[in-house]
Amino acid sequence: MKYILLMTGTRAGVDTYRAWNKNDIDTHIAGLKNLVERLRESGEYIADQALTGPEEAKVVRGQKKDMPITDGIFPESKEFLLGYWIVDVSIPERAYAIAAQLSTMPGPGGVPTNMPIEVRQFASHPLKLS
Amino acid sequence: MKYILMMNATKASFDMYAKWSKEDLQRNVAFMRAFSKELKDSGEFVATEGLGWPNEAKLVSAGKNGEAITDGVFPESKEFLAGYWIIDVESPEQAYKIAARASQAPGPGGKPANMPIEVRRVLSGHADLGL
Repeated sequence: MKYILLMTGTRAGVDTYRAWNKNDIDTHIAGLKNLVERLRESGEYIADQALTGPEEAKVVRGQKKDMPITDGIFPESKEFLLGYWIVDVSIPERAYAIAAQLSTMPGPGGVPTNMPIEVRQFASHPLKLS
Repeated sequence: MKYILMMNATKASFDMYAKWSKEDLQRNVAFMRAFSKELKDSGEFVATEGLGWPNEAKLVSAGKNGEAITDGVFPESKEFLAGYWIIDVESPEQAYKIAARASQAPGPGGKPANMPIEVRRVLSGHADLGL
């Protein structure tokens, strides 16, 4: 079963993260790299990807005269996708356990962030209807 | 430059989609298939996935001992990722153009749904985080 684990944050959350000191950021990234390495070893790793910050985000709605209609203004409460991990596991509980490991990644001073991670299963067919 | 185009929708929108007529759904699905094929033909396609429905979604955080604490209750306003495309294009403008095409996927009665598509550039590595 393939799951995508989504890490999201508001603009304010992203600003807080960017204000972490270098050591905290390095420790955090080392923890993430280590987790990916373990997922590769267990054969559960499919992909992971970080996204650029919210300041580059756009929403596109249709087009006018062949030009896309873009908008870059979002409510402050908007949860932006920061990054994701795709894993292939045998039971949902294993996906939750991996998400919990992501949630325990060290934050400032090495204290776990306990950041919530959204866990979603892929549709078995891209456009499968329930 | 790689971009991710995301379709986000509330639970209410998912429920509406589920009520579309069979003909409307088939037209929408046919569009999506043709759209992916176009992207493959142009060499801009990287990946696409559709996600399971919001009623299966869980929010997981770690407990005191690192155990998974799951929660399946979300506010009504919560935007769920419904699906995405990852594309590799020369410019942001090309990403917006492709997003506009996706946005115009046919809805009920074959009219363009003009669904909002969130366009985000993906990183090549953590070093790019702008820290």
